[in-house]
Amino acid sequence: MRGQTTRSPVKLGRPKYLVETPTSAMNDIAFILIVFFLVCASVEPENGRSQVIPRSDKNEKAEASQSTEVGLTPATVTIDGTPYREEEFTPRIRQLLAQKKTEAERVVVLKSQADVPYEHWITMTGIIERAGGIVTLLLEEEQTVNLN
Amino acid sequence: MILRRKTFEATVPSMAMGDIAFLLLIFIVLLARARDESHLVWQPATGTELVKPANRNASVVIDKQNVTYLNGRAIPVESLGAELESLLGDLPAGGRTVLFKVHKDVIAEFFEPAIEAVSEAGGELHHVLEPASNRTLAP
Repeated sequence: MRGQTTRSPVKLGRPKYLVETPTSAMNDIAFILIVFFLVCASVEPENGRSQVIPRSDKNEKAEASQSTEVGLTPATVTIDGTPYREEEFTPRIRQLLAQKKTEAERVVVLKSQADVPYEHWITMTGIIERAGGIVTLLLEEEQTVNLN
Repeated sequence: MILRRKTFEATVPSMAMGDIAFLLLIFIVLLARARDESHLVWQPATGTELVKPANRNASVVIDKQNVTYLNGRAIPVESLGAELESLLGDLPAGGRTVLFKVHKDVIAEFFEPAIEAVSEAGGELHHVLEPASNRTLAP
């Protein structure tokens, strides 16, 4: 059977496309991510309020002069022994400090009970400072006495 | 007949560069973590008219457990004054800022001695607070 050609089926392979993920930029992406996390971790809150607390020697002078004494407990606040509610305290301390002329007179001796929380303390000292007062602390000193 | 010399390629192997950079970064991160205070648990009290400190020379934290830390290191309150004095040295006034971060529920028994120590060391207190409006009210 000459002239008859047998045709075998031609297999056409599918074209191979690039299916791999391009990894050349991975290092750069990782770097940028790490820098981002580092910056996030290092941002700490710093906003707040500055406060000047005179040293002890000044406190002693202040105590000698006619300074105002504010007493703090977790629930109450007193001025020179008289208790006030928080809303009454602000105008009263402003009124008292407005009469004081010198820096030494504007010293407010703060005597806090041991169980006063910081949040209450910072609110009250803020009120005093905005009224023009200079806060000093009155702390109880512990002394050890040896008995022979 | 001319025999040509074989040419060898001399390139710096850059395959491991990414791994080396990663290891370096992890090392630096670990060093940074040892210095910062992000591991300390404290919640700031609220305040108004808050300002940023001009500088920061030291940081005192009193955490939820009433433990005092100076620059991220636990320290007894009794030695806080002396440590601060050596840290602040002869820095001029205005440049002796001490960040004071106290958990809002810590009581005066613990934070007042620390305030006194800062004052005795000649530090300028800067209470770190949170704006009053940011606090979500507890149910």
